[in-house]
This record gives sequence, structure tokens and C-alpha cells, in this order.
Amino acid sequence: MILDLHLHSELSDDSRAPVEAYLKILQRKRAERPVDGIVLTEHRQFDPRRDFRGLEDRYGLLILNAAEVETDYGHMLVFGVNEDITARFDFSDVRLPAQEVVDEVAKLGGIALPCHPGRPNVGLCAHYDRRGRLENVVAVEALNGGSKQGEDARVAALIKARGYAAYGGSDAHLVSFVGICATEFDRELRSMDDLVSELRAGRCRPVDFRPSRAA
Amino acid sequence: MPVTFDTVEEGDDLETQTLYLAKDQVREYARVNGITFPRFVDDEGARKEGLPGMIAPGNLTMGLLATFVEAWAGAGSLRRLGSTFRSLVLPDATFHLCAAVTEKDAARRTAELDVWMETADGERVVIGTATVALR
Amino acid sequence: MDIDRSIVGREFDRTDTEPVGADELIAFARALGERDPRYVTPGADLVAHPTYCVRYRGRKFFPDDLPEALLRRLSLDAGKDIELGVAIRPGDRIRVVSSIHDVYEKTGRSGTMTFVVVRFVLTNQRDELVATIDNRMMYR
Repeated sequence: MILDLHLHSELSDDSRAPVEAYLKILQRKRAERPVDGIVLTEHRQFDPRRDFRGLEDRYGLLILNAAEVETDYGHMLVFGVNEDITARFDFSDVRLPAQEVVDEVAKLGGIALPCHPGRPNVGLCAHYDRRGRLENVVAVEALNGGSKQGEDARVAALIKARGYAAYGGSDAHLVSFVGICATEFDRELRSMDDLVSELRAGRCRPVDFRPSRAA
Repeated sequence: MPVTFDTVEEGDDLETQTLYLAKDQVREYARVNGITFPRFVDDEGARKEGLPGMIAPGNLTMGLLATFVEAWAGAGSLRRLGSTFRSLVLPDATFHLCAAVTEKDAARRTAELDVWMETADGERVVIGTATVALR
Repeated sequence: MDIDRSIVGREFDRTDTEPVGADELIAFARALGERDPRYVTPGADLVAHPTYCVRYRGRKFFPDDLPEALLRRLSLDAGKDIELGVAIRPGDRIRVVSSIHDVYEKTGRSGTMTFVVVRFVLTNQRDELVATIDNRMMYR
């Protein structure tokens, strides 16, 4: 099963993409991007009231709800957000303590994974260059659809050095780019619990559906 | 010949326009708009402002995208244009203007488009969306 | 940086501009490489290029009570959202009403950035809506 683990809808301040428009594109481009679902990772917020069951039924795609938060080690995607996690961390804070986010999100039933680690200032690589490494990181985003030349190559080196598992996501802010990078799983996932379980085990790998382009 | 509402499909890609954005064009745009910031005049002026070199104003890139979209949809068709300037646009370089139809609204006879400007290497420097009213 | 959020939504400037000339409209369009006669041919049908509206701003770009420390930082235009109304024609006098639409902080490739969204509402002498423009200014 393949999911795009990282994208933004009109809820994020820098996106105007309606959720349904993402699904229409995935339907149309199924041959080039065989993606079975999406995970919405809105910037600095999480709305637990979002209900995508109607859209899931209509399009036959899985739609899950997560968040992208900002920490002192760069940005992270938080999967399995629940009331305990949102009570513990103010997602609008742009300086969350990364080690606490990783450890306590895990204790509270979710998982926090660094995203676009090769990106200047907001990627893990830049912080590892200057400071000690984070403990208990399970996986990092090896393929990000918004990466500039060279950024993903830095991540490959990080993964090799640290033994992290790897995942992928489009980081789409425009409808057209959904699914250009994604993550493949060995089994079918039906819920956020399933996703968290597979990510914790590192049973995932990034897949690249971009037109040929150097990393 | 501009497209019409009935001939456009969701998922259509506009033909990419390739253009060379010259420093002279940036200076001319700045001149006619009364913009005098050194960053839009020459590299030295830009570096004094803490930038790596002369840059093109975001407004200019929006203007180029608007012209590109209206060449497809018809002059006067643009109803809304939103852009995020993701990276500095350094002129004296080749860029591609791209767009794709994402949705149609039959009641309003409008189309929504993703629009973006990318470098020759494929880096998206400006991204946005547009709404056009079609005949 | 702490910014008083009571400034959000408050009008801080109202400016009326001089009538726009046909030559200005044509020069603007030509500087974009525009060739459509609607935008570059003098005459009764001449109108402004749709992005001409971004030229307009009030006498003040910011309210007086934005922190000085913010305004001293390097600022860059991070993007705009333009909703278009009626076209601008030669002779039109545009009123620009300015307000702060939003203020927020985020981190990105450039580090920690403060965003100030300045909204301009443009109307003409017939009180018709010409454009609403949200300007996202980034300070780092």
C-alpha cells in the first residue's frame, strides 16, 4: 500500500488546495502515481473534527489527519495526534523542544518523525551539524517533493550514518503535486493506528513518482 | 485562440512557456513602477541589502504568470491570483511558466488552476493558484 | 517577537490617488511582455493589466504601532493574494484602504520569520471594488 505521508490543504497558511481536489488528481493520475491515500499534515495545527469518511467512500482512497510542527531541530510530522498530545504540546509554538516531542508523542500513542531533514535551518541535518543528535528517532523523510537540488542527497548520507528508516511525502501545497513522493508499506493500512504501528517498526520505504530529476 | 469552458477538462496541463528573464526587463519593470530598491537594480546593490545578487520583484513574477494564464484563457478572464514567492528569483536566467487545471465550476463557468514558475533545474520558485472565468 | 494583535483588522491608512494615465497602463503591460491589445493599445477599450493593481499602496505601508525592531529586519515580499473586481481604466482614481490582516511566525529555510499580512482594498471613483490584495511581508 502506498500513502503520501506529507501534504497541506487550505487549512495550512501557504496552501489553497481543497482536500477533494487532491483526490481527483490521484484518481486521474493513478497510472503514474499509484497512491492509495493521503495524510494531511497541516502546519502548526491539528483539527480533530475533520471527517473524511464521505470522501473516502466516494474516491476509494484513505485520508488520514496529522500535523507538521516546528521544533528546535527543525520540522517534524506528528502522526497519531490525540487529545493527550495536543494538551501536552502547543502546535502553534515554532520552537517546540524536539527531544521532548519525539519521546512524549511516542509515550502518548503517536510518533513524531523529522521531515525534509536536508533543508537548511528547518531540517535535521543542519542541526546535527551544530549540536548533538536526537535520541529515539525512528525514521526520517528521505524523499520530499519540495526538496531543492542536493537536499535529498544529504538525507541519504544521514540515513546511512544513523541507520534511520526512511519514508517519503510530496509536501504538496498545490493540488498538482500530490503523490509525487510517497511511502510504500508491506500491508494494507486502514487507520492511523495501523500507520503509527508500521512507522514505529520502520516497515516502510520511500517511493519516487517524480518525472526524472536529480536528487 | 483562448479556450472555452466546454473545451477545458480538469487535469489539463497548459503548454509550458519558457522565457529568459533578463536583468534589463527587471530594471524596466522597476522603473515603470517607480521601484528604486537597490536589490532590483544590480548585484552590488542587492548584496548591500544582504541578498546574494540582483532579484526580480515578486510582483513581476505574478505579472508574468497572469499574462501566461490569460494567453490561454483570454484577456480579462483572470478573477483571482494567489502566489507564494518561495525562493529568490535571480534574473539573467531561463524559467518555465507552468499551469494545470484542477477544478471547474459549472455554475460560475470558472476554472481553478495551479500555476508555478520554475527554474531550468525544475526548482519551483513561485507557486500559486488562479481562478479564470471562461467563455 | 511580541506583536500586539489588536492591530489586526484595524484600518491604518486611507489614500486617494491621482487619476491613472493611459501611458502608465501601457508601459506597465509592456514591461511584462504583454501584447494583448486590450492592455497595450490606446483607445476607449484600454484597461489595466490584471496585476496593475499591485502598484497601489497607501501613504503608509504599515501602522505606526508595529515594533521598530521588526521593521529594521530584512524584509521580503513572501507572496500576494489578489481578488479582482472591475478593471482599471484610464482616468480612474483609486482609493486604497489599508489594514493589517494577520501576523504570525513560522520557520523555514531562512530561519525564524515573522509574517505581516497587509490588506489593501481598492475602489474606484464610482465606489466599485477594483481589487482586494493581501500582501504577505516576511521579516527575518
